[in-house]
Amino acid sequence: MNNEAFAELVDAHYAPLYRFALSLARNASDAGDLVQQTFFIWATKGHGLRELSKAKSWLFTTLYREFLRGRRRDARSTSIEDLPPAEKELAAEDVDRVSKIDASLVMTALQTVDEAFRAPLTLFYLEDMSYQEIADALDVPIGTVMSRLSRGKSQLRMALEGVQTAGAKVLPFPDSKGASAS
Amino acid sequence: MTIEEAKFILSAFRPDGSDAGNATFCDALRMAGDDPMLKGWFAQSRAHDEAVAAKLKQIAPPEGLREAILAGVRVSDPRGSNGLGWGWIAGLAAAAAVVIGVFSARAPVRPESGTTALAGFAISDMLNERHGGSGEPASALIAGLQVKGARMPAAEQIDFEKLRETGCRTLNFAGHDVLEVCFVREGTVFHFYVTRRDGPLGNSVAKGPTFVSEAAGAAAVWSDTRFDYAVASTAGAEALRRLL
Repeated sequence: MNNEAFAELVDAHYAPLYRFALSLARNASDAGDLVQQTFFIWATKGHGLRELSKAKSWLFTTLYREFLRGRRRDARSTSIEDLPPAEKELAAEDVDRVSKIDASLVMTALQTVDEAFRAPLTLFYLEDMSYQEIADALDVPIGTVMSRLSRGKSQLRMALEGVQTAGAKVLPFPDSKGASAS
Repeated sequence: MTIEEAKFILSAFRPDGSDAGNATFCDALRMAGDDPMLKGWFAQSRAHDEAVAAKLKQIAPPEGLREAILAGVRVSDPRGSNGLGWGWIAGLAAAAAVVIGVFSARAPVRPESGTTALAGFAISDMLNERHGGSGEPASALIAGLQVKGARMPAAEQIDFEKLRETGCRTLNFAGHDVLEVCFVREGTVFHFYVTRRDGPLGNSVAKGPTFVSEAAGAAAVWSDTRFDYAVASTAGAEALRRLL
């Protein structure tokens, strides 16, 4: 692959890859590193891929594997069986809420979704991949992708609700008259 | 197929409609056409998905990331190489240099006035598209900040190390860490910045608060014994006054 073709590949995919990485890594610096590492691997190994049409899936799969590789070093993960069932039903005001808030806050809410649901959910919202492609990229069965999307969406709705309705239960901030807020 | 099964399948239907021709969704889509309750649920679900997808697409990669990727790979020149040699390491170094430049581009080396420098930094960063603290301590801080009538936090309410270690957004300002969290109060988005008092501004930030207004937004800056603080918003100085 020549430099021009490589630049085209980067232009086509680096932005959605970055958004995916940001949702996984939860900070811009690590997300940038993940995207760079992914293209390095492409340049050293993936450029031998004959079918360029598969480059997109290859890049997302590789980025996710690189994330998991780094994640394993932290050795802290939640078993899917340990996760509570998601039960938040969609309400009409949920749509309005999303439309009105800052994009960065939507990303922040997405970053609070359990990791097992966050990866398929982000790929789904990026709209670049079908559920079959997501299943391939994450190496899980199709039914598992659907299940995780359903539960992940529910968790995301609860997180988005928290963006505007979070109470002061954790930190006792003083109110404007100096007393503690309840 | 039950309603719940249809909902389960339709959860994987992309909001832009690109799955419309996929046979997996046919039965569920047909059912959504026939059943008014399912139809209403699906319309709302798609509207919500569309809104989230649109917001995520507004997240822009950091400036310079593309150049860092291209520079790193160009230096590594993988063609003709069988493995990861010194070129790859040089590539990493080159890319790292670009990235360091990207993430510290806003860092003035010697701020002339701590107060105005921190205000300028806050307003400038606010206009950047990358925002938000994450991690449990950041969520707790944001929850407190969002309460109507609550005052801005003081030193004893901020565990700087914990916020940074658990994933709070950390910026580089003159070689020192500045933490940022965003919060929404009464519909207005605010960006709150904290840096150590012995950090980049060396005790030169006024106890304040001092309000600095620029064309693109305003910032309030103040300090206490341990930290320098800034809060910025595009809603103007009056909105900031109500926080303090």
